Amino acid sequence: MSTNAAPLDTYAIFRERIASDFTRFRKFLVQVVRNRLAFMGLIIILFFVILSLIAPLIVGPYPTQFERTTPELPPSNGHLLGTDVQGYDTFTLLLYGGQVSLLIAFTASAVAMIVGTGIGLVAGFYGRMTDQVLARATDFFLVIPWLPFALILMSIMGPSMGTMIVAIALVSWPTTARVIRSQVITIKQRMFINRSRAIGAGSPHIIRKHILPNVMPLVWAEAVLTISGAVFTEAFLSFFGLGPKDNPIFSWGTMVNQSYQDLGLLSGRWWYFGPPGIFITLVVLGFAMLGYGLEDILNPALRRR
Amino acid sequence: MNLRRFLLRKVVYVVLTVFLIASLNFFLFQVLPGDPTRVLLPKGCGGSNVTACPLREELMQEWGLDQPVFNRYIIYMTNLLKGNLGTSITFRPGMPVADVIAPRLSITLLIVGIATVISLWLGVVLGRVSGWRRGRASDVIITMSTLFGYSMPAFWVGLLLAFYFGVATPVFPVSGDRSANFSSMDLISQIADMGWHLVLPVLTFVITNVAWFSLTLRNSLTDVLPEDYMVTANAKGLTETQQLRRHALPNARLPLVTAAALYFGWVVSGAIVIEQIFQIEGLGKLEWTATLNLDYQLMSGIFLIAALGVVIANATADVLYVLLDPRVREA
Repeated sequence: MSTNAAPLDTYAIFRERIASDFTRFRKFLVQVVRNRLAFMGLIIILFFVILSLIAPLIVGPYPTQFERTTPELPPSNGHLLGTDVQGYDTFTLLLYGGQVSLLIAFTASAVAMIVGTGIGLVAGFYGRMTDQVLARATDFFLVIPWLPFALILMSIMGPSMGTMIVAIALVSWPTTARVIRSQVITIKQRMFINRSRAIGAGSPHIIRKHILPNVMPLVWAEAVLTISGAVFTEAFLSFFGLGPKDNPIFSWGTMVNQSYQDLGLLSGRWWYFGPPGIFITLVVLGFAMLGYGLEDILNPALRRR
Repeated sequence: MNLRRFLLRKVVYVVLTVFLIASLNFFLFQVLPGDPTRVLLPKGCGGSNVTACPLREELMQEWGLDQPVFNRYIIYMTNLLKGNLGTSITFRPGMPVADVIAPRLSITLLIVGIATVISLWLGVVLGRVSGWRRGRASDVIITMSTLFGYSMPAFWVGLLLAFYFGVATPVFPVSGDRSANFSSMDLISQIADMGWHLVLPVLTFVITNVAWFSLTLRNSLTDVLPEDYMVTANAKGLTETQQLRRHALPNARLPLVTAAALYFGWVVSGAIVIEQIFQIEGLGKLEWTATLNLDYQLMSGIFLIAALGVVIANATADVLYVLLDPRVREA
């Protein structure tokens, strides 16, 4: 029946697809903006991401150890948040700290998403023994208490950016794997999967073309929630003094650790104890709000009220 | 369902998981480079050369360190079964890890227990309001404030509380779990004294964890409210309180059981930093010391105990769930 049909205008199809993707994305954005929780979260996140990216424009380059002044100065015009025990300007450290905290959190979350989504897809799609083994493994990693586990990993591998990313990813992938797996199991039973199989599509093709696009939105929501947890985990590990030693820039967690070691708060110097903690809290809260908001939007079953 | 078979399956699950965690524990430490006795012997033993340390030979024997990996694994597991968790290098002279952990377990369990009960209670109170009045002002306030507490790192909250209620206005003690003259008090004063010391640590726990329970109850209430029996209850002319008490809560409470068990894993992690901040000699402060000194056997011992706690808590929750929910019980 298609022998004398007009030749396919691939360019038009391509254009249409872009357009439809764009409309879909715009609709999605509208939903995000309408969902108060997600929107507020997004604003908070954007604020902190932009703030750490433009840190060099606001406070100049990161101070070297030769650019220190009098230690433990209270806040003044010259030093908005005073100086820490080593004489660094706290405000500068604070703005740059976000770069480390967020970089680690984003990368760790990306690794956790790849591992978690991969395991969830394979386990949910292939079922049977594969699922048994992978689902059990996921449950196993889910019950491991994360902080002692991450501490052991960090102590064995040594404190650096890379090891911290690996440690955080290792404790955060199981949640995603479980969520994706159960979503894949429901999608797998839908009619279009059968139809695709009937016209000869193989499993890898079905996973790539049909299952993955359908779970992708959920992966994004999970990614956002995982970033929230990763910022948190990074802060805990850095508080233990396991902050990356290969990066001259202090993360927020390391800043709190420094101020704890120097009795910063207990002697009344709130200015280099308080701000990094507030920043950690707000960033974690922002990502959590966006994540829960996204889940709300993507999973209408949760929305009935 | 056959209850006996179910229980048996849970026991098998616990044993299997603990076995796997112990194996993971063993293999994790196999990646450490160099002479294993280097990290297992007390620092400075034998001077600059660990091979000169007299304890080394004993250690090689005990853990079969000169044998292939599989034999070492068997030896490790056998030692574990005998309750031998290794030797601490922090607490000299080479105190067995089990003896280091045991006396510190009770205070951690006490703090965690009190904190869990209070968080659970407060979570139910708050979650009930916010779930029932979903979307209204009271819900928004409760959800946002508990979520805010949940987003704060426990160590930071602990330090803030320690500063404001211990240093700026010294109301509560901020260090240790008892006064210096504790042993000369009578029982009532001892309990009061300990309770007084635990106010801030427990408060830190509750602030950072109550969202876990309030949000769980809120979500499960959301699931329950559209059910037919709720419509019926409303149609029968029951007041809102009656609907909530008699029909909504009994059904919505069940997920809290699972939440409480999953929460246990967090509790262990939270306890570690909170005990360090309030200088309470429990498992958490021990973990801090172990991490700082790279005392691997002590760390892995604490990890095993913590994991054991989480696994048992999870299995208990599963059993409780079946006992509490007639639908699952009969299925």
